[in-house]
Amino acid sequence: MHKIYILGTVAALMLALNACGKKEEPPKPQSTPAPTSVPSPVPSPPTAGVTVVTITLGNAIGADKKVTQAADTFGKQDTIYASVDTTGAGTAPLKAKWTYLTSGKETTVKEDTQTIAPTGPASSEFHISKPDGWPAGNYQVEIFVVDKSAGTKTFTVK
Amino acid sequence: MSQDIPDFSNVQGGSSSTATKIYEVVSGDSLSKIAKREYGNANEWKRIYEANKDILKDPDKIYPGQKLKIPPL
Repeated sequence: MHKIYILGTVAALMLALNACGKKEEPPKPQSTPAPTSVPSPVPSPPTAGVTVVTITLGNAIGADKKVTQAADTFGKQDTIYASVDTTGAGTAPLKAKWTYLTSGKETTVKEDTQTIAPTGPASSEFHISKPDGWPAGNYQVEIFVVDKSAGTKTFTVK
Repeated sequence: MSQDIPDFSNVQGGSSSTATKIYEVVSGDSLSKIAKREYGNANEWKRIYEANKDILKDPDKIYPGQKLKIPPL
């Protein structure tokens, strides 16, 4: 009788311990807080597609914005044109920076920017003129697309 | 002896393109003034207006900051 009692008690104890063990839930993994959603910036029109192909200088252009005759030497009364051919599509600021070169120094003569929105190959032009005539010497025009240099052309005024 | 730098303050410049240009309106602008500058002809303001009818309800009312399409001639 005692044995049955003891066995029953042990069994009861074992059952109780098992139940206790079942009540204990394994620790939940720490959840990482959901990232705060950041509104996406409004995408600007793609500009990487516009690429400068050629830069040509001359003292006259046609209706197609291309120089009628390429030149790298100009007269003092010339209007100087830089024709820029591009490929690709998108919206891109195109800038021309004209400089006067002397003794290794650069003096900015003029800067001009136009934002173009081509859908394919296009030609753009920049031009400069000086009512009292250009000082003789060496000059340079540098073309930028989205503020990145796309090429330079040097020329001389005689 | 240092070389004198010439005076370039009176240099005039300009630009144009076969592509449509995007022009941002500044204070004091009007379509005719923009047309005069872009096309050399103020009467071409109608060309600019037609190209921007989606954002311009009245050709006499343009505002600084507006970005207008300037179609090629």
